[in-house]
Amino acid sequence: MRVTKDVQAATREKILRAAAELFKKKGWQRASTREIACRAKVASGTVFNYFPTKEAIAAALVNEAMQAAEDEFHFRRKAGQTLEEDLFLFIWLGLRQLAPYRNFLITALETLLSPLARSSPEHHGEAVRLLHVDTVERIISQQKTPQALSHLSLQVYWTLYLGVLAFWAADDSPKHEDTMAMVDHSVRLFVASLAGAQRKRSAGKRSVKR
Amino acid sequence: MNPKLADLIKALPEERTTGDRVADSPPRPEQIMEVLVGLTERPTPLGALRRLWALGGLEAYVAFAYLAWWVRGWFMSADARTRRRAETNLRAALKTLKCMVYLRGAVMKAGQLLGSFPDIAPDEFIDTLGHLHFEAPPMHFSLLREQVRNELGRDPEEIFASFETKAFAAASLGQVHLARLRSGERVAVKIQYPGIARTIDSDFRSLNALLLPLRLSKDWQNMKEQFESVWRMLRDETDYELEAASMRAAASHFRAEDGIVVPRVYDEYSTRRILTTEYLDGAHIEAFLATRPSRQVRDRFGAQMYRAAFRLYYGGLNYADPHPGNYIFMPDGRLGLIDFGCVWTFSKEERGVIKDAEATISGDEKIFRELAKRVGRLTDRELRDKERMRLLREAHDWVLEPLRREGVFDFGDQNHLRRGMAAMAQLVLKRYTRTDPMQIYMYRSFFGLRAMLYRLRARVDVRAIHDAECRKLK
Repeated sequence: MRVTKDVQAATREKILRAAAELFKKKGWQRASTREIACRAKVASGTVFNYFPTKEAIAAALVNEAMQAAEDEFHFRRKAGQTLEEDLFLFIWLGLRQLAPYRNFLITALETLLSPLARSSPEHHGEAVRLLHVDTVERIISQQKTPQALSHLSLQVYWTLYLGVLAFWAADDSPKHEDTMAMVDHSVRLFVASLAGAQRKRSAGKRSVKR
Repeated sequence: MNPKLADLIKALPEERTTGDRVADSPPRPEQIMEVLVGLTERPTPLGALRRLWALGGLEAYVAFAYLAWWVRGWFMSADARTRRRAETNLRAALKTLKCMVYLRGAVMKAGQLLGSFPDIAPDEFIDTLGHLHFEAPPMHFSLLREQVRNELGRDPEEIFASFETKAFAAASLGQVHLARLRSGERVAVKIQYPGIARTIDSDFRSLNALLLPLRLSKDWQNMKEQFESVWRMLRDETDYELEAASMRAAASHFRAEDGIVVPRVYDEYSTRRILTTEYLDGAHIEAFLATRPSRQVRDRFGAQMYRAAFRLYYGGLNYADPHPGNYIFMPDGRLGLIDFGCVWTFSKEERGVIKDAEATISGDEKIFRELAKRVGRLTDRELRDKERMRLLREAHDWVLEPLRREGVFDFGDQNHLRRGMAAMAQLVLKRYTRTDPMQIYMYRSFFGLRAMLYRLRARVDVRAIHDAECRKLK
């Protein structure tokens, strides 16, 4: 019997919800795919059809949260916001969406997003990184005076973002206000570095014209 | 002899360089003077938050220079090794201090550190005291909106009928926005920069460790107490629920006929990090003076400021941070008091000290010496030190000078303010600075209030106000 797309989507969703509940309850490392399958009321083999590894499940949950954050970002964004405001809002909304997964996420992220684990483009963490960075690029390009982005600038951004994630995962301040300050400072740093690079480029062009 | 500004700048430890440019080397004396004089000519840039923040750094250098000069004195006679270790710690401590951008007047709150002003342009320095602040980094609207959502559960646009996205004023740890409640009242919403409280704790812990070598000095215990009281006061300033409680306590002391207003607090829109209060329509002192008010009007406001100070003082509260941003000169003639982040509530023992201190107004030497022993923690030997007692007496007499005058006292007398600064400077220079922490905030109040009254050039019958208010001390 052919499985329709709707049924496929529903099954995928059941697996993800079951995984999220189990990860919260038992931790990412201790929750097994067999338990996920049982909770989702599907066969173990079915889980592997949708998600070949547990990392793939974690990546899917993170991507889901990032997508929800992007949707919320477009909804909440005010016209005329500066780049600092845009990036701050996007990152902070992402953390809000990831909040239900916080207590197990850092363990998953170590495998998923660790620069040392990025061995191939098919690595699930790479998909998460690309999705996030792609959104950041679009946010930057939509500014009135977009800053020129280089591959290195994006690498700097990603490094800062990983630092924010790690900080947030361990942050025990009330309402994670320390993370809020950390995001603000990191974004200011990144935007200042872009502006500095832009100024150098403009100065270089002016001296060439002479 | 008071240190010259050039000497103070030289007292700053040299920046270590590794061949790279030192990004934030101390400004030259001429640069500081240029900015200080320039500030007296400009209106207070309440909207230019970034500029205030940047300029605050210059006051830091002057204050740090005093600290460096003062601390070095402790080690003049120590051996070379102790001096080197102290120098290293001092350099690190000053670097930490430089990063503590939220330190609005914290070094001033310690009292001793600004006991003397440069002998170059005291007028400009006094006039610009109110302009220079350390403030938290300005928040853009995205950050501010999320902070409000974090604290109150909804966006500001959902909570208030209207909410201005641009900050109306800077606060020491955040900023203030005007809004209107759905019931129609205009309010001022003070929003704190996130994470400040823990930053303060972390910075002070580091500073505490760096200043440990000073424990060898004989006044270490007292210095430690004063340091910890500054720490505690700053930490308390981050708790707007405490400030709200202070405002309610202060408001209970005033009636409508006093012409002194403490704004109402709206608890349902306030948390530890957000304080929503009644908006008081009026001007800060610079804008008020720009309207060229008559002498009568200035004198009346001066009297109200003193009445407010005495009312709270004898009611058990020290309004310990009377700087220009805290007073609103209202068009209907009332005086508004805002910003109750730095309020010292007197303990039962401290109230006893206040009561006993009344006797010194008439010049009672015996009571003065007893108070010097209690509050100044003086030993019997120190009580016999004629020079020390003379300097303490001079400072005390300066505080009481307006009280002892029959009729009005002219606070526009520049010499009065200079005498006060000179008296405090002598105490600092001689290191006669051991005192109960309560006293630091008292001196802060005295100086702050008198600097304000000097700017108003107000003439006030302080004795009459005092006699009316101190009856509440019974």
